[in-house]
Amino acid sequence: MSTLKHKGKGPQALTAHGLRAGPVVYLTKDYVWSTFYADALITEDKAIIEKMGDAGDRDDEANLIVGPYFIDVDPETGLPARYREKFRMNGPSFDPGVPTHIDHNKHTGAVIIGGDK
Amino acid sequence: MYRYDEFDHQFVRARTAQFRSQVDRRLNGTITEDQFKPLRLMNGLYLQLHAYMLRVAVPYGTLSSKQMRQLGMIADKYDRGYGHFTTRQNIQFNWPELTDVADILDDLADVEMHAIQTSGNCIRNVTSDPWSGSTADEIEDPRPTCEILRQWSSLHPEFTFLPRKFKIAVNGATEDRAAIRAHDIGLQIVKNDDGEIGYHVLVGGGLGRTPIMAQSLNEFVSKAELLPYLEACMRVYNRYGRRDNKYKARIKILVQEEGIDKFRSEVEKEYANLTPADIAVDQEEIARITAYFSPPEYEDLSDVDTDYQRALEKDAAFKSWNDNNVATHKVAGYAIANISLKPIDGAPGDITGEQMRAVADMADVFSFGEIRATHEQNLVLANVKKSDLFALYLRLKDAKLADDNIGLISDIICCPGMDYCALATARSIPIAQQIYERFADPVRQKAIGEMKIKISGCINACGHHHVGHIGILGLEKSGVENYQVKLGGDATETAAVGAVTGKGFGAEELIDAIERMVDFYLTQKQGEERFLDTYRRIGMDPFKEVLYGAA
Repeated sequence: MSTLKHKGKGPQALTAHGLRAGPVVYLTKDYVWSTFYADALITEDKAIIEKMGDAGDRDDEANLIVGPYFIDVDPETGLPARYREKFRMNGPSFDPGVPTHIDHNKHTGAVIIGGDK
Repeated sequence: MYRYDEFDHQFVRARTAQFRSQVDRRLNGTITEDQFKPLRLMNGLYLQLHAYMLRVAVPYGTLSSKQMRQLGMIADKYDRGYGHFTTRQNIQFNWPELTDVADILDDLADVEMHAIQTSGNCIRNVTSDPWSGSTADEIEDPRPTCEILRQWSSLHPEFTFLPRKFKIAVNGATEDRAAIRAHDIGLQIVKNDDGEIGYHVLVGGGLGRTPIMAQSLNEFVSKAELLPYLEACMRVYNRYGRRDNKYKARIKILVQEEGIDKFRSEVEKEYANLTPADIAVDQEEIARITAYFSPPEYEDLSDVDTDYQRALEKDAAFKSWNDNNVATHKVAGYAIANISLKPIDGAPGDITGEQMRAVADMADVFSFGEIRATHEQNLVLANVKKSDLFALYLRLKDAKLADDNIGLISDIICCPGMDYCALATARSIPIAQQIYERFADPVRQKAIGEMKIKISGCINACGHHHVGHIGILGLEKSGVENYQVKLGGDATETAAVGAVTGKGFGAEELIDAIERMVDFYLTQKQGEERFLDTYRRIGMDPFKEVLYGAA
């Protein structure tokens, strides 16, 4: 039984940070972690949500990710429902970094954490 | 400035090695995140909204050019080419990777820096007046006191697990540029009737969700008594400070709940029970530390420099920068040059690695190799010859650091907000930028005069909104940013907590609302009044009417 509970409504996605580099990551349909929200597994199915929670616990214990938690997804847009999560998905709205968050993602492509890699 | 002795070097190196091993154990799973988190926080490493964030201590805001260059190197090598100066005179890096942090700490140790006491429930990095040692209104240079406090408080075993974090600020001038009344303990250097220099100790100040200005605890504590007296204060707080509720754990709540008289009597009781001589610093050690802060070798100069005067007459932009950013120095022929980190297209306090190196070079050429960071998120070269100011200005212009807005409406204190911070409830950086854009006209800015706008992206108040002439607090209301406005706050010797105007504003209405208030102030202003003075004279009601219409 997963220790991760979701109290939200509607579709859920599971997010965390990668342990080593610290990026925002989402659990994918392959049960690995991607830095791209577009790869996120989004579901309302309770059995799948339970399985996702187990994957969060497993990879937390395996020192791949840190602090996994479920987020509500807006069923109409398919995007995170909460304002804060939109920022985590998009990166800073003002970003002086070189490369910026967006450039960095574009340049590196999705970073995948977990699986056989 | 202070240089590490053998003990300092050893202790920082040992700490870095210890952290490297902690990171290794975290990565291989020997310790869990719950076990690791307090360890990383004790070394200034947070996990923020998008990434890890490393907060590096800049003791009382003083940096050597060598240290600044190293920070620039760290920004370029391990981060994304920039750093962010905070309201605690520290610097933060927003994108380090956990696997690099021990190397960063080693690189910091190379230049006598670290990230200890930038987080956790300990005595945090001590802050002070960025003009220390150079300003004419100084009773005494506060830096030796700050350094003594740094050494005393660094990993003080008794005060490593306080009920909550603890911030001390020291001010040595008559004008308070260190916001001492907004600190857990504020020390004002004073001279008593006998001409002896000591400290007026203030206690129980703080911002956050419960803003309170510090109260007077003891009007005169002698130099010899300072550490034992502070130790007594810390013991009373450590014993009686609330540990049942994080939000009521700061010393300000204890002082408020018990009353200042009760708190004072507890401190006196504690003081009577300890042996001051065991704690006090001896005269020899005070002298040794003070010697590190001896004035630099000033030249014997006339206060009037004809080339400087000519440059002021010839170059209007230089004159404008000079009028706004340069302050009077205590030594004839010298000036204090404030460098604004508030460009119209940047985030308050941000500086690139390249700019850090440029400032380091300027410090070497013009200001005895030393730089100060201010709690208002700017930098200072505190000892510049007037005859060098024009050359300095040209270099600042090249480095895109010549904004002439110190103390004006666009010189905004601003926390990272929702763009970077895990605690934030709304963005603050775009608000600062929009205010700057709206008031970009330099003539208008000067007509408005001194104005302290301070923006926080959540109730924790890192952006000091409670003590802004205009304070702005960003909140989230059903997924939309909403901004509460406060008026009449003041962080100086006339400190006050601002009052909320009323209902908050959406991001788009907010800038108009501020403009209405500022324009109204200009119609009400008498003589040389600042916005704050006019507010104090006419009160909140007329401003409310301007904001919300007649009741």
